[in-house]
Amino acid sequence: MFKKILIANRGEIALRIIRACKELGIKTVAIYSEVDRDSLHVRFADERVCVGPADASLSYRNIPNILSAAEITDAEAVHPGYGFLAENAHFPEACESAGIKFIGPSASSIALMGDKAKAREIMNQKGIPVIPGSQGKVNSEKEALQIAKEIAYPVIIKAAAGGGGRGLRVVNREEDMLKSLQTAQSEAKAAFGDGGVYIEKYFLEPRHIEVQILADEKGRTVYLGERDCSIQRRHQKILEESPSPVVDEVLRRELGRMAVEIAKAVGYVNAGTVEFLLDKNHAFYFIEMNTRIQVEHPVTEMVTGIDLIKEQIKIASARPLEYKQSDIRIHGHSIECRINAECPQKFTPSPGVITRYYPPGGYGVRVDSSAHVDCVISPHYDSMIAKLIVHGDDRDEAIARMRRALDEFVIEGIKTTIPLHKRILEDSGFIKSKVSTSFLERLLSNQENN
Amino acid sequence: MDLKEVKRQIKELIDLMQGTQVSELEVERGGVRIKIRKDQMMSEGGHLVPQIPVPQDAQMKSSLLEGGPKAEQDDYTYIRSPIVGTFYRAPSPEAEPYVEVGEVVKKGQILCVVEAMKLMNEIESEVDGKIVEILVENARPVEYGESLFKIEPLKEPKS
Repeated sequence: MFKKILIANRGEIALRIIRACKELGIKTVAIYSEVDRDSLHVRFADERVCVGPADASLSYRNIPNILSAAEITDAEAVHPGYGFLAENAHFPEACESAGIKFIGPSASSIALMGDKAKAREIMNQKGIPVIPGSQGKVNSEKEALQIAKEIAYPVIIKAAAGGGGRGLRVVNREEDMLKSLQTAQSEAKAAFGDGGVYIEKYFLEPRHIEVQILADEKGRTVYLGERDCSIQRRHQKILEESPSPVVDEVLRRELGRMAVEIAKAVGYVNAGTVEFLLDKNHAFYFIEMNTRIQVEHPVTEMVTGIDLIKEQIKIASARPLEYKQSDIRIHGHSIECRINAECPQKFTPSPGVITRYYPPGGYGVRVDSSAHVDCVISPHYDSMIAKLIVHGDDRDEAIARMRRALDEFVIEGIKTTIPLHKRILEDSGFIKSKVSTSFLERLLSNQENN
Repeated sequence: MDLKEVKRQIKELIDLMQGTQVSELEVERGGVRIKIRKDQMMSEGGHLVPQIPVPQDAQMKSSLLEGGPKAEQDDYTYIRSPIVGTFYRAPSPEAEPYVEVGEVVKKGQILCVVEAMKLMNEIESEVDGKIVEILVENARPVEYGESLFKIEPLKEPKS
């Protein structure tokens, strides 16, 4: 087991990783940018190293400074968290050259699954159902028009180097295709450094179902149920739950086995998530694989009783998985709300200083956050303040508990999306779980009309 | 006391200090004085800033941009490390240090190296001036933004 781990991240996920390390008796090194000097993750780590200014490219994504920080503190391993360097294939390579263990999959897995078009192509070749669309990247305007005609509009153009809901453009009619294609390519180039795009059929009312997997270094792979992340705004997840209200035991097993097959096919090690799209008839298609721990990992932890961060650390220290697939049970229901520093109607960012902060508590309530009174929500980083997670014996209890917890959550000094979550939790469509990824847009436009 | 016994004593003292707030320990036994000092930068509580409310609006914005409460407010120029690494005063263990306290340096003159991942990075002076203080001991780790040299800039004659 490692003696010391450096956490190459900030905010709530850095704190999350520090907590797991502490419980395992592992010393922690926090890195921070100059504006994060007073952060909780810096306070609670055993050691701390400033790695750069506020600009993440000079600090939280600064590979030389981060590896140097590991070197001067004698950290044996690095946990990348999510975002920043978590899916940058150069980082595990650099770690390896420096003799530091990267807690996550191999550089080649990250590179492979990071090219969304290539991943699609490989899945298709292996007979895994993928959304109808292009074979890998689109190579010409003619090809784009042809494919779109075959699969029928509406279609969606996606950046090959994108992911996480970014770099997407919906095209409704043939007349709009060429212009949209050009825009999508230049946006992709600007945002991800790679102008490559691919095309898929655009489903109007899909559900987003993802499967959590864990694999040890010997290739033993298990799935830990699924998460339903259909409540999204502009392809960004707002609320997640596990299990999915529309996935029964049979479908769970099918999705789980498929996710395991996909992980094994690419020799995947450590934690990962396979994302599927479920259409109205519950046919499912591979979307992409995320080669990192995800923001919404707590809902899986609550229903399985398995600490995913600890598992990541154990796997990286070459420990075999302690359980078989049959040991994994789903108990009850869990919901997570992502609380952001945004205006709940317009979604404009609301940076500033938190003047009052009282997080909810009580039975079955968990708050993953590094916010506190006097903490600065800066415009330099993402606007998520806290993750509010509940667990109940069933979905009804989880909903009641989340409503109760949202009522108790006091955050003043900045605007937050708590009112939005309250609205979602009261919506009859959500309660009956008649939702799809267009649910939230409709709820919001109904709101405007009323 | 023979060497073996000295080593044993040192280890015992180090063990004694572990997990405590003690940062420095000096013991004299059998004609031998042993002094052990914990690395202050990395010890618990080393870099905690007192919990003062953050000033609002413009002041907050500028402090966010400039890097927060660590910037010193005086007339000296501080040369800060632009990277994370280990500070060395000389290009190699046998060589003379690049500069000494009291020495006058020119802008662009090499003051030290910071070693990171086996690469030596030369740190240059940003001003003409006199070295007032060298703020880090040789072979100590430094973080981004850490002050290395305190320089009194040479006053430009006004024309």
